[in-house]
Amino acid sequence: MKRQVPLVLCFLFGIALIFTQFSPHSSSQKLYEEIIDWNLIIIPFALVLAVATLIETHIARVRRRAEHWQYSLVVFVSMAVMVLIGIPFGPQNSVFEWLYNNVQVPMDATMFSLLAFFIASAAYRAFRARTFEATLLLVTAMIVMIGNVPVGDLAWNTVLSWIPLEDGASKARQWILDIPNLAARRGIILGVSLGVISQSIRIILGIERSYLGGGD
Amino acid sequence: MIKITQWIVICLVLCVIGGIAFSQGLAPPSNVTAVDTPNDDGSSITVKWGAAPEGSDISGYQILRRIAGGGLEEIGGLLPAGATSYVDSTIEKGNAYAYIVRAVSDTEATVDSEETAPTTGTGEWFHTGKIPLLIAMLLFCAAILWNIYDARSGKEIFVRRIPGLEAVDEAIGRATEMGRSILYVLGLGGVDNVATIASMTILGQIARRTADYETPLRVPCNDPIVLNVVREMVRTSYLDEGRPDAYNEENIFFLTDSQFAYAAGVDGMMVREKPAAVFLQGQFYAESLLMAETGNSIGAIQIAGTDSEHQLPFFIAACDYTLIGEELYAATAYLSKDPMFLGSLRGQDWGKVVIFAAIVFGVILELSGVNWITSFLQRVR
Repeated sequence: MKRQVPLVLCFLFGIALIFTQFSPHSSSQKLYEEIIDWNLIIIPFALVLAVATLIETHIARVRRRAEHWQYSLVVFVSMAVMVLIGIPFGPQNSVFEWLYNNVQVPMDATMFSLLAFFIASAAYRAFRARTFEATLLLVTAMIVMIGNVPVGDLAWNTVLSWIPLEDGASKARQWILDIPNLAARRGIILGVSLGVISQSIRIILGIERSYLGGGD
Repeated sequence: MIKITQWIVICLVLCVIGGIAFSQGLAPPSNVTAVDTPNDDGSSITVKWGAAPEGSDISGYQILRRIAGGGLEEIGGLLPAGATSYVDSTIEKGNAYAYIVRAVSDTEATVDSEETAPTTGTGEWFHTGKIPLLIAMLLFCAAILWNIYDARSGKEIFVRRIPGLEAVDEAIGRATEMGRSILYVLGLGGVDNVATIASMTILGQIARRTADYETPLRVPCNDPIVLNVVREMVRTSYLDEGRPDAYNEENIFFLTDSQFAYAAGVDGMMVREKPAAVFLQGQFYAESLLMAETGNSIGAIQIAGTDSEHQLPFFIAACDYTLIGEELYAATAYLSKDPMFLGSLRGQDWGKVVIFAAIVFGVILELSGVNWITSFLQRVR
């Protein structure tokens, strides 16, 4: 019973949601929006459990005096400050907004900016021309990078002026992006789409039950 | 005096003739009809009329609308002279509307069409433009179901070798030998994301192995619902393997739902705990490379998999093995060897064969100057 009820619900809602994709009627669209809203209602309940596990984890770290346990205190202090300001005064409160804009946003931006350095180190490893594929990748990447900057076309038109093709660097870049790159991407997208449909059929029919928490 | 009278008469005749000629250049729009827009929810009415004759002075059209028993009102802006239809999406459901199409000339002279019969917008229960899509979906579902049925009969199904999945045992074994943990990252998708569900299924298979080897399995979660499902799933895997004592609920925990804070948290765990194996499976965005590069820097064996084609290059560059797109969905069948999953995998391959054949056939037809397949596909919404 514990397993059968969720399976039946999943089947019914799965079929209903497929139906809404083929029916433009307002009742069908209302049903779709209603189901999506129910999903949103579940999240706050699960969030309470999630925050409880977060607190448990960090309390355990502090108790054990695990390595770098002081960071767990930072988590508690940060959480307490945001909750004590956010719940009584709301997210529009000036102190709450100040903390969000001047602490969380810059920290997010810092993490995001690290991406540039990580791309450089990953590209260095990927572009080492050890194999034929890596060499191909290197050459392609060079063409795309040169085609992306104005100096690429300037160099092409100056140095390779004898070739009867103007702005060849940017045109080569565009050809790579529009033809081989797009073809490969579409191949992946087609495979993924079929995989998603296949997985969805398995879920709707109750063959795939991992979302129930495993077991039969 | 007679001459003056004659001239006045001649001028009047010329004016009348000129007027008639002018009015012929601004004829009222013909064949005006108002119909309920097909395949919508009943929130619009389509007004159609005949194209303006060549050489006419029409410079545009104005649509006028009358609600039953009310006055005329102008709706929308001035439509171009070439327009032959207008979709009125501002109607109120249940009301009947009649329309007049007004032709406007360069000199702002106007002439109105006849008023159409009152029309009401009605919602359709089925979108007829999606019939080809429905047929394709039903055929694909039938192929998968038939293959699942066929696989249950005990027929052996070949699955090509997927290096990323072959390496799963190697990664778990390495972590066990080194006495270090395994870090499993499910990405940023919620439980309603198919890639996350695929990832959770892979996690279930990995948990069975870590239960056997008693290797710590750490799972930082980004979504509260995913956290609860994953805890239950891993616990069940440990129970199934007869090792409930080895299951530690503290190892599966909520980190944060903020994208870069999550990346920072996972990176911190990698640097502090130095897991021997890192699995990055699910849906990822810009944080993918932040985690994969950090995992690479600590020397962990990394197996990634995502259906996000924008993040695949990052994983391929930074990880040891990468499940590309659909391989993520094939992982469950590959690892569990369950005939039902393997059957659905073969059904999926049938779908790919049909699409591939359609592409080749379409290209040949296009090169031959026949484009019905292209125009047919463009009509499918």
